[in-house]
Amino acid sequence: MSDQDRLIEHEYDGIQEFDNPMPRWWVTTFWGTIIFSGLYLLNVGPIGAGAGRIAQYEADMAAWREAHPTDQGTVDSEALLALAGDHEVLEEGKEIFARNCAACHGPDGGGVIGPNLTDNAWIHGGTIAEIHAVVSEGVLAKGMPAWGRQLTPAQVNAAVAYVWSLQGTTPANPKAAEGAVVAQ
Amino acid sequence: MTTSAPAGVVLDEFSYDDDIVRKFLFATLIWGTVGMVVGLLIALQLANPAFNLGLEFTSFGRLRPLHTNAVIFAFAGNAFFCGAYYSTQRLLKARMFSDGLSRFHFWGWQLIIVAAALTLPLGLTQAKEYAELEWPIDLAIAVVWVAFAWNFMGTILRRRERHLYVAIWFYIASIVTVAVLHIFNNLSLPAGAFKSYSLYAGVQDAFMQWWYGHNAVAFFLTTPFLGLMYYFMPKAAEGPVFSYRLSILHFWSLVFLYIWAGPHHLHYTALPEWASTLGMLFSVMLWAPSWGGMINGLLTLRGGWQKVVDDPILKFFVVGITAYGMSTFEGPMLSVKSVNALAHYTDWIIAHVHTGALGWNGFLTFGMIYWLAPRLFQAPLHSKKAASLHFWIATFGIILYVVAIYSAGVTQGLMWRAFDETGRLTYPDFVETVLRLMPMYWVRVAGGSLYIAGMLIFSWNIVQTWRKRPARYDVPVVRAAALRAPEPSQAAPSPGLLGGLAFHRRWERMPVLFTVLVTVAVAIASLAEIIPTFLIKSNVPTIASVKPYTPLELYGRDMYIREGCVNCHSQMIRPLRYETERYGEYSKPGESVYEHPFLWGSRRIGPDLAREGGKYPNLWHVRHFANPRELSPRSIMPAYPHFATAPIDFDVLARRVDAMAMLGVPYGEAVTNAIPMARAQAAEIAADIEATGGPAGLADREIVAIVAYMQRIGRDIATTGTVASRGTAP
Repeated sequence: MSDQDRLIEHEYDGIQEFDNPMPRWWVTTFWGTIIFSGLYLLNVGPIGAGAGRIAQYEADMAAWREAHPTDQGTVDSEALLALAGDHEVLEEGKEIFARNCAACHGPDGGGVIGPNLTDNAWIHGGTIAEIHAVVSEGVLAKGMPAWGRQLTPAQVNAAVAYVWSLQGTTPANPKAAEGAVVAQ
Repeated sequence: MTTSAPAGVVLDEFSYDDDIVRKFLFATLIWGTVGMVVGLLIALQLANPAFNLGLEFTSFGRLRPLHTNAVIFAFAGNAFFCGAYYSTQRLLKARMFSDGLSRFHFWGWQLIIVAAALTLPLGLTQAKEYAELEWPIDLAIAVVWVAFAWNFMGTILRRRERHLYVAIWFYIASIVTVAVLHIFNNLSLPAGAFKSYSLYAGVQDAFMQWWYGHNAVAFFLTTPFLGLMYYFMPKAAEGPVFSYRLSILHFWSLVFLYIWAGPHHLHYTALPEWASTLGMLFSVMLWAPSWGGMINGLLTLRGGWQKVVDDPILKFFVVGITAYGMSTFEGPMLSVKSVNALAHYTDWIIAHVHTGALGWNGFLTFGMIYWLAPRLFQAPLHSKKAASLHFWIATFGIILYVVAIYSAGVTQGLMWRAFDETGRLTYPDFVETVLRLMPMYWVRVAGGSLYIAGMLIFSWNIVQTWRKRPARYDVPVVRAAALRAPEPSQAAPSPGLLGGLAFHRRWERMPVLFTVLVTVAVAIASLAEIIPTFLIKSNVPTIASVKPYTPLELYGRDMYIREGCVNCHSQMIRPLRYETERYGEYSKPGESVYEHPFLWGSRRIGPDLAREGGKYPNLWHVRHFANPRELSPRSIMPAYPHFATAPIDFDVLARRVDAMAMLGVPYGEAVTNAIPMARAQAAEIAADIEATGGPAGLADREIVAIVAYMQRIGRDIATTGTVASRGTAP
């Protein structure tokens, strides 16, 4: 290769340069990216931004909604009450509670940022179906997340069953009662 | 000197100023070590939050900018100046125009670095990446840079070498463009001695910032080092540069194309899509021009590869240039929108820049200084073995660092977008996606430590070489003929050579024209994107319900800026299903119209906060700031207990609201009434905190201001809750 090299006569502080042609593959890449960019701008075939990011997003959302209809199922109070008597379900619920709920409601449900869950006062209703609604859909204005978006229906049910089982327990530092007393 | 003078031509006698080169060399060693050690500390902080040391001054958010500024402007900056002062004088056969300006440049630059090291831990920041320094320091940078430019151009005009060599082209492009970038991105309105608000807001501010940010990489870390490569590589390899034609084409295409590429940092954000598309395409087109530099560097070694085996300098150059090739292939790839959707906000970007910084900038600097040390200190290098050891340790360190952080980036990116079969996010808890990275974060600590160990061996080796210097440096006298216009016929290229390139040979003889052409190339590219971004109204559709922050919220936002929260939290939800599912409605351009500066962020070490307002009760925030781990047991966020004790400085608010109003934010009555308004809102929040079971007496404490801000973010377009609809309700 070096016998093809033609040295340019000039030198700078002893540095010289060859008058070599640019490698063909490099020139091809150079023009190739420019051609690609032109095609992309013109949206030629599969090359290009297509309908744009917002249209793409709307399409993705529509497809997703179709594949996952928001069917929470009808809440069956009796089935939930039955779960509250199932030792295994309560164990699972306890774990879910510790991971997701304890930060605001306290590890023993006595209430910290969120209300006390062991007393018989309820802000958004105290039937097991109402508790399920609050856990699943949240109370967004007060900072209670919609857990139905993050947990599976079975996990939500287990957590609700566990909360139900906390009734009448005695936490270490109970928060004062909030809401209306509900007779069970 | 090889220049042969025709009989009768009088030769000038002069000497080169190597003292200034030695000064910059030592500054490179010192600041390089400091910047890398701060990098190691913040790497440890991500692996274990205890390394935030419980001090507000040493929390991640404040130290991260110190690390980036130190390694970019102090380490790479001083290295560039060191090599540029050495090579420029020799390539132009002239001493620097003014020794006084050289010293002013040196000491001014070091003072700026010291000012940065003092103000950044104090939380004095503009919150724009690599442009964090506040306005008085920005002014000083502009003054020092102009002094450097003046000195440099003065030297060119007094040169004794008719043509400008390719290294000088790159230096010219760097000096001109950095000045333009620095000035236009830092335009801001002062609202105190070390407090200012960017002149631009939201979409425009984001655009300007990444026009700057991307080109800081281009014209502070790439073109200056290409210039150094073109001098030191053929010197060390003792062979000619591979192709002069390639130099011309890749130089001009780099200078022209780089400027357009900035918006690739803002794919899928509220930046208009046309800008995002241009950013992507120009980045793709940058691939070949970047590789032109790599080819010219590596092929300069043709026929001399055996020298690499026993020369640590060439080893550093070969790996450094290869790292440049890898990161400039990866850059275009990352700028492709679909790839970027995965990589943006993750560690992939961190790995990418470290391939460039540790590999390209670091290794080129090391090779250059090993080559310079014996010449500058007029003594043989203390230990070639130690230099080889440095090479292997540092190479191994880079590999550990980047492999770990690439896998961290891809892992987290994939976890964020994972859905389970029921259509729910597989990892809805953000912390889970951070904890998965911990083993990789420890590997990064190991890799970074090795690189720093190499840096210490390097510094020791150079200092030992310096200690062997002669009692007085020998200052050789150089003889060269002054330029006489007009140029004798020697300028005409021999037939067959340089076909079609005679025009460029002419430009190389006319430095002023050359500089003007570079400036025009940079300006055209800039204006082509800047003008539409600012002038086309439909880029930012207004949203009537978006209102300015209240004075107290503004104070809280300034705390957010001060603590560097933007270094870990984005406020920009992309229109991607897995983003809106996790965070809520995607961010609209019209939501940012009062955001001086924009706080969209670039990395999510913590979750996005664009819809944080109203997500949790006030008391949650109070407890979370006091100790994040109390509410989120495995969180790596630093604790901010001082928020609950530090008093709100209500007095600054009048001036800050006033400054915002001057920038066009419709503050109305708040301009005259800022302080009472802030006090009233603070009392209200403090009362709520107390009523819900929190501590009492917070009405004049900073915590209520930051809570006020947190509760406001992203709510202006929301009707209820956190998942906003496109409503116009107030």
